[in-house]
Formats: sequence, structure tokens, C-alpha cells
Amino acid sequence: MGGLISRLPVALHRGGRLSRWWVFALLTGCRPTAAPAARLSVIDDAGDTVRLSAPARRVVSLIPAVTELLFAIGADSTVVGRTAYCDYPPAAHAVPNLGDGIKPSIETILARKPELVVLYNSGQNAAVAGRLAELGIPALRINTDVLSDVPRVARILGRVTGHLPDADSLAAVFDTALRNATAATSSGTRPKVLLLVWEQPPMTIGRGSFLNELVERAGGQNVFADITTSSGVVSVEAVAARNPDLIFTTSEGPSAFAGRPEWQVVPAVRSHSFLRVSGSEFNRPSPRAPAAIRELADKIRAVRR
Amino acid sequence: MSTGRGVLLVAAVAGCILLGLSTGAVALPLADVWNGLWHAGSSQAAIVRDLRAPRVALAFLVGGSLAISGAALQAMIRNPLAEPYLLGLSSGAGLGAVIAIASRAGGPWSVPAAAFVGALSAVALVYRLSLVSGRRLDPHVLLLSGVVVGAFAGALMSAIMVLSDAPGVRNAFLWLLGGFGTASWQALAVFSVYACIPAGLLFFHSRSLDLLALGDEPAHHLGAEVDRLRRMVYLCTALLTAASVATCGIVGFVGLVVPHAVRTRFRPLHRTLLPLVFVVGGCFLVLADVVSRTAVRPLELPVGVITALIGVPLFAVLLRRTIA
Repeated sequence: MGGLISRLPVALHRGGRLSRWWVFALLTGCRPTAAPAARLSVIDDAGDTVRLSAPARRVVSLIPAVTELLFAIGADSTVVGRTAYCDYPPAAHAVPNLGDGIKPSIETILARKPELVVLYNSGQNAAVAGRLAELGIPALRINTDVLSDVPRVARILGRVTGHLPDADSLAAVFDTALRNATAATSSGTRPKVLLLVWEQPPMTIGRGSFLNELVERAGGQNVFADITTSSGVVSVEAVAARNPDLIFTTSEGPSAFAGRPEWQVVPAVRSHSFLRVSGSEFNRPSPRAPAAIRELADKIRAVRR
Repeated sequence: MSTGRGVLLVAAVAGCILLGLSTGAVALPLADVWNGLWHAGSSQAAIVRDLRAPRVALAFLVGGSLAISGAALQAMIRNPLAEPYLLGLSSGAGLGAVIAIASRAGGPWSVPAAAFVGALSAVALVYRLSLVSGRRLDPHVLLLSGVVVGAFAGALMSAIMVLSDAPGVRNAFLWLLGGFGTASWQALAVFSVYACIPAGLLFFHSRSLDLLALGDEPAHHLGAEVDRLRRMVYLCTALLTAASVATCGIVGFVGLVVPHAVRTRFRPLHRTLLPLVFVVGGCFLVLADVVSRTAVRPLELPVGVITALIGVPLFAVLLRRTIA
């Protein structure tokens, strides 16, 4: 179950779609190191050294957050493949859709003749990265779980695509914007927020997810911040015990729970104190996070008034 | 059963229910639990009355229903391995429920009904498949058919979960793992309405189950209408399983372990066995649910994980003891 729970946020970042694939056990893979005459090398989040002879001109991005960053640092012309969930910026829709980002089809990736493949750093993708390395295609495994991943990953992507100055300036702008968005909300009482991403069974967000950070920076406090993983299944009783002031839901999250009898024990449900958000900036850590924090902060103020 | 054993059983049931009521995400002293049961108003009372009490009651009834389903199927097939989960009923019910949700027809009353149709279709398919060995039902072929049909239903469920864009289907696999985290009096009412008739019918026909356990021919000679009886057992166990799956997902091994455990202590007639199995099954699932909500607080483990973790090793021990 630990494996399942820890994989859920990946699914959430990919657009809220969960499938049972995450139930399956982790695969481990060993990766031979290759590529002679490497002029460019980076250490990815799996701890592997990924070597390139030159900045990649054809990149397959199998993480929505990475696709968004590649466009943001001006490397959009290098993106030759994306996942079905890469929906931002709208121009990304023009890139060929290669399907799922977890356990993707290697054949489909090869058909795009990539010089670099960016994969989410999960157990299932270890075998994929190993297989790609055997075929001579460097694979970069990246974590995109928290807000500090945005500038960090931007710089990694800047190096491997030859857009480091743009990545550096994006990172600097992001850090400033994040500080400003947070500073604007740092006064006053902090309402207790329940981040409810599913209802049957009730599933919430823990401190391992960037959503926790968004809410905390927007002036709220996550009632389940003691959950160290990014998400977890809890009971209605546990929710009632934490007694949230506000309930955060996304457009892809629960909708009908407020009318269910068991939820009436929670005062915030009875008083309909909801923070409803939509938009993919709440699906993944991205350069849009400061704007998302402002939107949340406005909503928190509006509901509290 | 002696009076001493009866007293012991009542004490065990009371102990399980008390434990179920007094543990949970919120630490409540026993006095608050007791007050909360009888006096509404406070937030503690709401937690005890509206969340814990229906949760314990639901876990008890579902555990009892799954356990008597197992006992009835075992009598009918004359094989101690028969169980709703292993015979494909649970997966059939799960498929029915997932189809209902995917076609946006999922409500508290319609999901169990759809699960019933699914469980019944699975039973019919299992029954038809196992007739390949001839007119006489071979228990081994029946079990094998159950596993195959269960796998088929599981595959269809996976396909629907991946392909459907109905909002409830996305996380259906989490709900199918089983749990009582959203138990309510409404869920208890729905379950009771669906389960009371089949459970009552099984209790009513307990003498016929004794005959059926002797084998088709002896049962026929002793005056049992074997075919009618068998249809009744299929329908009743399908409905009990469907109501359980629709309420709390697929919880396996209750119907396997509980009748087995009871039979290793003593071998009563079904008139005694069924009520005993119902009560022990109820206690078993209440305890499993207590573990599921306290093991990794504030997170909940799926109760099906707990029943499998307790059930499988216990089953291995029972199996060895039975063979030795």
C-alpha cells in the first residue's frame, strides 16, 4: 500500500486520472553507462549520470510539468513528444501525443527519434530508462513533486537543451514571484484547510505534495500536514477530528460528497465552506504556482469574510 | 453448544463492539463513548453516533453475511475452499458496480442492484463453465471456473476504469480495495434491506443445507429438492456478496476463514453453524476494521488488506491441521 499511496500524487499531477496500474510492484533496473565523448553530463533524480555529446535537439517529455517548463524556457522547438496529460501551454497540443507517462510505450518513443527522453522518477520507469539506455537513448529521470522542483528542474532542462540563460532567468523570476505571493498572505489567522482530492474513500494531500505548499503559502494550514507522503486515504472521522474551516477541492475531485449523510458530521461541510479551483496549475508544480497561490489566497479571504 | 460457550460468545461479541466503538481517529475516553451513544449534541456524540456506530454495525453485518455465504457455498459444493471471493462472485459484483458507476447510474440503491446482476451473471457463467465436466458438478472444476471468471471480470473492470471518463470510475479501484471509512446509517439501511431476505432464507433452509452437504443423491433420497435448493443458495449468496461489495468493496477470505475456524472447534448442524458463523464473521470484520483504522493513523488501510493478511496465514494453519 505504501507503494500505491506514494504513486497517487503522480497520477494526480497527471490530471487527476488514477488507474490501477499504480498498484503493481516497483521494478528495479540496472543501467549500463554509455555514450563516449560526452561533453555534457547531468546527474538526474535517480542518481544516474546522464551524458550527452551536445544539447538535445529532439526531446520526448513524459512529464506534464517538464513539457510546461520546456516551453517556458524557450525550448519548445525541441519537444517532439509529450504525454496525453500535457495540456499547458495550449501550443503543447501540437506536439505528438505519445500516451501515458508511467510505463510508456518504448516503440512509440523510438518512432520520434529522440536525443533525450525525460521520465518521471518512479519505480515503474526505472526499467523503461534502462531499456532506453540499452538502445543508446539517454533518459533523464526527474521528480516534479514540490515547488522547489520548478527552478531546479528548469535549470537541468536548460543545461540539456542549451537554454541555460533562459532557465536561469525563469528560476530567478519564479523565486521572486513566489516570495512576493507568499509575503502578501503572511499576516492574520491561518484557516485550517482540508485538501480533499477524492471522496470514496476520502483521500487527502499530505506534506509531500506541492498542493500542501500552495495552501500553506496562500495563508491556510493543511489539517493533514502530518501525513508525510503526498497523499493518503483517511476516514470521515479523522476529518471531523481535525475540524477544518475550509475544504479545498479541484474540478476533477469530489463533487457530490457534500450531500452525503456521513459528511454532515464535519461542520465545514454543513456550512458549505468550500474552496473550489480548476485549472492545471493545481495539477502540477509549475511556473504558474505564484498565480495559483494568489488565486487561492483571494478565495480564502472571500470565504472567510 | 454449552451455556458456558454461549456466555463466552456473547462476551466476545460485546468486547468486539465496544472496541470498535472506542477506537478511531479521535481518542475518546470510554465515558464519552457511552454518553455519546445515548445523548446527542456534542461533537463527540456526533462522531460516536453518526460515524462509529454505523461503521461497527456495518462491518459486523457485512462480516456475518460474507461468512454465512462462505458456509452455504461450502455445504453446497462440499468443498471447504468455496467462498464468494474465490468463486468469482465478488469480482462479478464489483464489475456490475463499476459498470453502474461508469454509465452514471450510480446511486446508493442502484449500485448494489447492479452488483447483484454482476454477481448473478458471474455465478451463471461459473456454473455453465463447470458443466463441461458433465452433468454432475465437479467441485474442483467449479472452483477453477470461479477463478477464471473472477479474473475475466477483473480484466473488464480494469478496462472500464482506464477507458471511462465518468468521474466516479477513476478511483474505483481504491474503493474496490475495501473499507468502511464512509459508513453511514444510510449505507447500513441500504445494506440491511438487500441482505435481510437472503440471510433469512439461508437460516430458514439450514436443515436442507445439512442434507445438501451429504451429496446430491443422498440429499435427494432424504427428500430435498436439490436443484431448487441449489438455485436458492446461488441467489442468496450472490445477493449477500453484491450488497457487501457495493457497501465496502471486495473483502476476501472472510467466507473462507470464519466457517473453517468454527468447524475446527466443533462440527454442528447448519442450524447452529450458520448463526455461529454469522456472529464470528461479524466480530472478525469489526476487529479487522479496528486494525485498518488504527495501524497507520491518521491514514486508513483497506480492510481487504487486513483480512487477507490475517486470513491467508490462518488458512494455511487450518489447512495443515485439517490434513494432519
